[in-house]
Amino acid sequence: MSAITTTRQRLELLARAYPRLFPHAGLPRLLRDQLGHPDALDRWVERSGIEVRARAPRQIYHVCAGNLAVSAITSLAQGLLLGARNVVKLPSDRDDATTRRDILRFIRSLPAPLRALVKAESVLDSNSFAASDVIVAFGTDAAMHSLRARTRWNQRFIAHGPAVSLLWLADPDRLTTRAARACATDVLTYDQLGCLSPQAIYLPRGAKIDPLGDKLALALESNWRKLAAKPPRPLAVTARIAEAREVAHALGHRVWLPPRKHFGWTLIHDPDPAFTASPLHGVIYLRAIASGQLETALAPVRGFISTVGVAGKLSSRLREAFLSLGVSRFCAAGRMQTPPLTWRHDGRATLGEMVTWVDAEPSA
Amino acid sequence: MSVRDFALPAHRLAWAKLLLAPLDDARFDALARELFAWQFSRVLPFRRLCQAHGVTPRTLTNFRDIPAMPQQVFKREKLFAHGARRPGAIYETSGTTTGRPGRQHLLAPDLYKFVALAGAQRAGLLDGRAELHFLTPSPQAAPHSSLSAMFGFWRGTFWVKHDGFDFTGLRERLTAAILDDQPIGLAGAAFAFVHLLEDWDSYAPLRLPRGSWVLETGGFKGRSREIPKAELYGNIARVLGVPDRAIWNEYGMSELSSQAYARGPHGRHAVPPWARVLVVDPKTNREVRVGQRGLVRWIDLANVDSVLAVQTLDLAERTAGGFRLSGRLPRTEARGCSLSADDLMPAEDRP
Repeated sequence: MSAITTTRQRLELLARAYPRLFPHAGLPRLLRDQLGHPDALDRWVERSGIEVRARAPRQIYHVCAGNLAVSAITSLAQGLLLGARNVVKLPSDRDDATTRRDILRFIRSLPAPLRALVKAESVLDSNSFAASDVIVAFGTDAAMHSLRARTRWNQRFIAHGPAVSLLWLADPDRLTTRAARACATDVLTYDQLGCLSPQAIYLPRGAKIDPLGDKLALALESNWRKLAAKPPRPLAVTARIAEAREVAHALGHRVWLPPRKHFGWTLIHDPDPAFTASPLHGVIYLRAIASGQLETALAPVRGFISTVGVAGKLSSRLREAFLSLGVSRFCAAGRMQTPPLTWRHDGRATLGEMVTWVDAEPSA
Repeated sequence: MSVRDFALPAHRLAWAKLLLAPLDDARFDALARELFAWQFSRVLPFRRLCQAHGVTPRTLTNFRDIPAMPQQVFKREKLFAHGARRPGAIYETSGTTTGRPGRQHLLAPDLYKFVALAGAQRAGLLDGRAELHFLTPSPQAAPHSSLSAMFGFWRGTFWVKHDGFDFTGLRERLTAAILDDQPIGLAGAAFAFVHLLEDWDSYAPLRLPRGSWVLETGGFKGRSREIPKAELYGNIARVLGVPDRAIWNEYGMSELSSQAYARGPHGRHAVPPWARVLVVDPKTNREVRVGQRGLVRWIDLANVDSVLAVQTLDLAERTAGGFRLSGRLPRTEARGCSLSADDLMPAEDRP
């Protein structure tokens, strides 16, 4: 195993192993964006007239959530880029086994010099946790509270707690088939389980709901059919989906169901614009909203909105309204689940937060 | 079409008497379809749900095909078959911080009282020998609690006062009963027993007289630490000196009128003849086979004022003669960083 000592060597290995996840051109951009210079970890670079050097953490502890692997994989890749030792606390057995499997597969397929920097754990090991300079955690509010309580003052705690995302249709009466498919992609990717997955599609009041719903339903079914690996639908999942459908029927809401009522997706028009959480797994709510109602409708999730995917053009007034609700990312519909490597997750420059800096002021 | 008017006290009484008469499947089916037709015509959300499934009184051929109302709808809509009439009782689930508890509206609590007494008697609990004590507030103190109401029908002493459990007073009373060889029936939610066991941890165990029983209604929901059922029953048996088989579980909910009872930590629930529990696969909307797990669906002929078919998120295994409850479906599974209904709503259970 040849020694790897520089960021560029690690970057090369990572990009070669996972060119789609971590494209070669994107990684230096990430380093430049968050550290100021791709070589800031390896040599002195100039910043504001002085020489500075980034210092990587010796060890990073990644606490993975059970809903999907991609966040954990990205976090781990950042740790590897820094050359830190990485301890990965896998999702517990009761969580979705696919997530656990996907993370392990990623680790196993790393080039040997990078794999040597990773250790996976099934249970949280207090010693590893205490020995880490940085804790990166994904999960529920309760999980974040509990982990924060265990963290020392000189450990950096980067918490990615629960969040929701939304789609906004600027001109729903003229939604193209292509845009509808883009929305369906956002809904169905990762079985809607991530914080970047939309839980509702918002649109301006006055739009024609029935043709719009028909169009979206067609797109959802088309995308569902194209999914190579259909997500599992165990009892716990079908129960939630069935409940959402039955509640909607009883409330008199318009419901679009797939052919033969399979459990791949469900589209529900809820005339109440107020946000309510979807049971996920392809259940998406269509909510029309009057001008000026946005703040009230999204009040329950103020500060918890990650991404707004936009089909069409978002007016500056609406953009400001979303901003005031704490939204941290806008993107085109269809791109919600594939943020660029330089994306600041929850508005945070995670890679930048992991490192500390050494300043070398000029001698007198 | 039903000629019965469930708003009339005489008709309600007649219905109650029908429920107590022998009910084979055919008779149960006939009564269920009659009640279904009545509620279909009067409860709009129920009608909508049924129409979405293409089920109407004319097309329904078997009570098993009655679409079941999700419990969640009791939080969103008033499910009341008597229009603008004033309900005589409203029972609520918790969920108060959302301002949206589930509500069961009854024209009068007469049928609830009738089946709450008859069901417990059939199970063998109310034989008139045991002196009853309840770890809940009284019906006067908690007028919207269906559990307090049921215990009120049973008659006994309530040991939750305005400042909490009066375990000292209860212990004194139980000690006196032991001296008098007076059998005791002690009933409350599971979390109340956890508190009782913790409170009495430093005292010597009691030995309740022969014929005594304990009844817990399940559910912790953040009101105490959760402990497995076998452990809870073991501790109750040890601290109160009753055998395992004298510890019962009552399975009911505010949205229903009837209850099921199971005996011992591994007991199967028995449903009274005027109700049926179907263990259903949500994917097919049909009953699962014996030995398989599914969701509990109640068809309750005593639930005349709202809807007779209620779909729960309780998990059960279908057994040859009934079902074995195995807990409640967690509200969310493996959501990780995705904000869930749990994050937006408090836990729910029966007050």
